[in-house]
Amino acid sequence: MEIYRKNPSYRLYYLLLFILLVLIFLAELMFGSVSIPPGRLFDALLHPKGADFATTILWSLRLPRACTAILAGSALSVCGLQMQTLFRNPLADPYILGISSGAGLGVAFFVMGCSAGMAGTGSAWFINTGIASAAWAGALAVSFMVMFAAKRLNNNMSLLIFGIMIGSAGSAIISLFQYFSSASELKTFVLWTMGSFSNVVGIPLGIMTILVGFGLALAVYNIKILNVLLMGETYAKSLGLHMNAVRNRIFISTALLAGSVTAFCGPIGFIGIAVPHLGRMLFKNANHKRLIPATALLGACVTLFADFIAQLPGSGQVLPINTVAALIGIPVILMIILQHRPHE
Amino acid sequence: MELQQLCIGYAENRQAPLFGNISAQITQGKLIGLFGRNGIGKSTLLRSMAGLQPLTGGTILLAGKELRKYKPAEIAKRLAFLPSHPLHVPGLSVADMVGTGRFGFTNWMGVERAEDKEAIRQALEVTTLTHLASRDSATLSDGELQRASIARSLVQDTPLILLDEPTAFLDTGNKYKIVRLLKELAQTAHKGILFSTHDLTLALQICDLLWIMTDRGFYAQPPAQLIQNGLLDLLFGDYGLVFDRNTLNYTFKI
Repeated sequence: MEIYRKNPSYRLYYLLLFILLVLIFLAELMFGSVSIPPGRLFDALLHPKGADFATTILWSLRLPRACTAILAGSALSVCGLQMQTLFRNPLADPYILGISSGAGLGVAFFVMGCSAGMAGTGSAWFINTGIASAAWAGALAVSFMVMFAAKRLNNNMSLLIFGIMIGSAGSAIISLFQYFSSASELKTFVLWTMGSFSNVVGIPLGIMTILVGFGLALAVYNIKILNVLLMGETYAKSLGLHMNAVRNRIFISTALLAGSVTAFCGPIGFIGIAVPHLGRMLFKNANHKRLIPATALLGACVTLFADFIAQLPGSGQVLPINTVAALIGIPVILMIILQHRPHE
Repeated sequence: MELQQLCIGYAENRQAPLFGNISAQITQGKLIGLFGRNGIGKSTLLRSMAGLQPLTGGTILLAGKELRKYKPAEIAKRLAFLPSHPLHVPGLSVADMVGTGRFGFTNWMGVERAEDKEAIRQALEVTTLTHLASRDSATLSDGELQRASIARSLVQDTPLILLDEPTAFLDTGNKYKIVRLLKELAQTAHKGILFSTHDLTLALQICDLLWIMTDRGFYAQPPAQLIQNGLLDLLFGDYGLVFDRNTLNYTFKI
């Protein structure tokens, strides 16, 4: 007898989400400050070497931007999902352990140092690369601190508090930097905190793809332990899991995911907390075998859609992605809180 | 499994262990009840026996080898532990929940092969949960959830099972159902089962052996012998209670 109800609706959902993703992807490529009609679009896609306007816009702007949004969306969503499961906390997000503050601190250091040491000499490429590297260094430093603390704290709740404290400390130092920085430095930093998918082109996009790819692969590798963690730490330990090794496996994945997104795109909020809940609501399933692909797909859709809206097609204006993501994310979070039933 | 002059407690108070000098053994095919007042160390004993907590003294032998020399994953192959208060996990089906017990058998992805599915099917059948296999485990009643937790420990396929208060929060009918299930598992599946409980009457009726933790020490005897030796009076003397042999329960000392 088959004990599992074969549920074809999963595959149907996956398929529908994938089709949705392709549609938003095409819309993102077609619309913007200038519209590219479908015929030109496919022509430009098939002939990347073309020198016309549409081909240039597509290959140097829209295609990298869309790919970045997809990578960032799936990375943050899968990262948030892992954090929520590890800490058994529905409000955990990719940055709960202070990764974004660490990255922000790195960027603040760089922006200040850059203007002090080599005012005027930095090209846009240099600044972008510098910001990404500094953010990565900051995120990594915080991740290592948290991993080190995790060895000493055998309680996830203490670890959560540790992470939040590190994050707050980072934010405090950032405020101090901001207080003493010039208007132009402040603007560079604030622009970074607003998030953007438009500066990741060429080699950085390749690096981001590889890092996010590794992070997602690790998340898939974590599926089995994440399912066990749902039933509590004691049970996980009784199955022979070393909590330390478990946490480290999850932290490496989340640091790769959240760290790379923050480094290349800035701290993108809301996606990481809202999408896992959206996934659970849509798929009505807590098994990570279903949830990891579901949140990755959903995250890509939501983020790409937010980016599409942020570009205000036809207007030539571009809104900061974080603002749009928040406007989409907040209603979802409010809905969750209002529907939160006591037994859950 | 054999306990030799065990001392349990927490590392911070190594000088003052929670409970000392526990010597006993669990043999396969026997159902053992663990009884004692709140806070005397029942859960600590169970956790220590499951290798989740270091001992403050004595030794535990599991299949002839010291427990602390095992790797956690090896312990999980010989012993299943059920923490008290099973957690409700919204969105996880009963079959998926039970399936996590196959942790040590499935590959890195947790893909269930035919024998894993067969083990899950059997465990659900034994615990009479087959009809609920695809239900959301968060919608189960306390009794059903407890049976699902037992099913989860069954698929771990271990000779020993330790349960921390499996009958807490259950109505009388469900308490008997759970304990009878444990008795059947001990007899037919030849498992050694130890469970802590506050239902003395129930434990006296059905257990092969009772471990009691009293302020005067640890005793492991068959129910009839415990009653005969008057050891049950030791438990709640301070509360003004005596054990009544007719009702198999406590009454006020008159």
